[in-house]
Amino acid sequence: MSDATLPSQTSLAGTSSLLQRTTGALCLLLAAVWAIAVVQAPVDRVQGIVQKILYVHPPCAFAAYLGFAMTAFYGALYLWKGDERHDQRARAAAGVGVLFATLLLLTGPLWAKGTWGKWWSWDLRLTLTLLLYLVYVSYLLLRSFTEGSERAARFAAVYGIAGLMVIPLNYFAIDLAGGRSIHPENLERGSLGAGMSLPFWLGVAVAIVAYVHLWLRRTEVEHLRGLLAAREATMAHRDDPGGASWDS
Amino acid sequence: MRAFAAILWKDLLVEWRGRDRLAAMGVFALLVVTVLFFAAPPGPLPSQREHLPGLLWVAVVFASVLGLNRSFALELENDALSALALAPVDRGWVFLGKAMASLVVLLVVQALTSLVFALFFDVDLASVAGRYALVAFLGALGLSSIGTLFAAMAVRTSYREVMLPLLLLPLLLPVVLGAVRATAGLLDGEGLLFEPLQLLLVSDGVYLIISFLGFEYVLDE
Amino acid sequence: MSDGAGEPAIRARALEKRFGPVTALHPLDLDVAPGATLAVLGPNGAGKSTLLRMLAGLARPTSGELRVAGDGDGRAARRRRVGLIGHATFLVPALTARENLRFAARLHGLADAEARAEHWLAELDLEGAADRRSGTFSRGMAQRLSIARALITEPALLLLDEPFTGLDPDAAERLASRLADADRRSGATTLLVTHDLARAAQLADQALVLARGRSHGLDEACLADATVLTGAYHDAVSALQGPRG
Repeated sequence: MSDATLPSQTSLAGTSSLLQRTTGALCLLLAAVWAIAVVQAPVDRVQGIVQKILYVHPPCAFAAYLGFAMTAFYGALYLWKGDERHDQRARAAAGVGVLFATLLLLTGPLWAKGTWGKWWSWDLRLTLTLLLYLVYVSYLLLRSFTEGSERAARFAAVYGIAGLMVIPLNYFAIDLAGGRSIHPENLERGSLGAGMSLPFWLGVAVAIVAYVHLWLRRTEVEHLRGLLAAREATMAHRDDPGGASWDS
Repeated sequence: MRAFAAILWKDLLVEWRGRDRLAAMGVFALLVVTVLFFAAPPGPLPSQREHLPGLLWVAVVFASVLGLNRSFALELENDALSALALAPVDRGWVFLGKAMASLVVLLVVQALTSLVFALFFDVDLASVAGRYALVAFLGALGLSSIGTLFAAMAVRTSYREVMLPLLLLPLLLPVVLGAVRATAGLLDGEGLLFEPLQLLLVSDGVYLIISFLGFEYVLDE
Repeated sequence: MSDGAGEPAIRARALEKRFGPVTALHPLDLDVAPGATLAVLGPNGAGKSTLLRMLAGLARPTSGELRVAGDGDGRAARRRRVGLIGHATFLVPALTARENLRFAARLHGLADAEARAEHWLAELDLEGAADRRSGTFSRGMAQRLSIARALITEPALLLLDEPFTGLDPDAAERLASRLADADRRSGATTLLVTHDLARAAQLADQALVLARGRSHGLDEACLADATVLTGAYHDAVSALQGPRG
């Protein structure tokens, strides 16, 4: 087991791509501007200070939904092309999507308690998001409980696509069940209060850029993990050529 | 088509010989109904009875998860699942064979459960039997189709029994809600409501298409 | 069923199976003539099962070309021409021997399932047990039924995956002679994956050694007897595995 068989230091250190560094820097810069804008933004007359969660909560939703859409998209691409890099992208998107969805589901109740007076409401969007969250947590569980990376990739791709396709059905279902939305429809009506628009859209930009940055990094981690698994398999063969097997 | 008929015939024959899946699902559904009865005893007021259709469908969903797991656990013996994967047909037909066999078994379980449910909770299903049968069928079709797709995955994970409900339940909401609403409409004397029926039909269609196409990838090595 | 005209029964060009950086099978070129028997030898994890499962149409190659019995692409079409006998029997325990055979024939879309089932029950001396459930069969009988199950579709290519594992020497000997016999009569091309070099020397007329996903063909002279084959096999494996690290 000589050193030559281990990933060399340079190949690991040199992997942080230009794109990753750019998105990272951009994210920090935007976040700084966003923080100032949030502080400067007027305090809502009705809701008070808690309303400032507006600059965190909906942006997380953008990032979370983007993550889930990309999971399904790269899953489909993987099934079509069979290239495992698409699978790594899908997996990374699911992981980062779940992260933002967790933030979404944590900040939501804070806001809800402050404005509606209760932590949770079975409102249309809340329920929909919770379900989607559960779908993608199941997606990650499915991956970790499935042996064989190729099988895990295929199962997960099918599940990720099914999860996305059911969203509109869930929408109608919850609507039917009387889960009328009490969510503010700010965006559709374009009724962000004066001075709230800039920090809000900055927040969205921060979330999206942060998502992209994390997704790129995560994809790389998945890629390196694959390389490591391959190295380990090779070494197992070296140590015991008749032993550990890949295919039986 | 021949492969579809062969699998349907094989599954039903095996089920008929053992009747173990039917027995397990039936007993389980009855247990759920009994537990639910004591957990949420229905009173005479309408407000105390509006959750009844939901309870009925919860029992059916749980029983179907049990049956779907069993349907594929059987195929692991002697690696019969690989034999199905080797069939020289579009694997969508393999899916349909498995799903329709599960549907037949589930319909029998549903009939029994509904009967007992009607007696326990003093619900008048008899007067709407025909329309209720349609709703039950559409609900069972949705359950069996997407359930068969996920059961074929779950059975080959290291956490078989746990994996299926985790995968299945978050995606079942449309068909379960549709079925519950439609059943509630029938029991309230509103007749067959259009919206839940539409939701059931669309969900069944979407599930069938996803599963038919997805099975190709799920059965691969 | 081999479409003659000099077309090999198996033709693989740069056939490769990878997942990510893990390569199960490095690009492989392979030609097997119709009716020939190819032994695939190698240590565990060499890529033997991977090759077999791609030939069976169960797994997708990452790249390369694969044609079986002159077919084009399309894995469903390939599965029609292939019969697989492995250590798992594929039998449904709750069905009788006859029903198992009918099921296999129908699964392959064959119209005369009943007649075929009777024919193959007779071929493998299973008539007496035709109405017994296969779950009650001994290992040897189950193995026979699984051979009938694979042959009922009259495959142009018969894939044997370690068929001798778990059989006592007598049963293995009987199985070998049955396979040789069935092979002669059906004229099928056979691919035999095995660890048993003596068996390979006895049955095969062509051999392929796989180690760590790389392949090396052995010529006919190597298959003269078990001793010669053992020597050639070990040379090939150490050449493929390279110096130990």
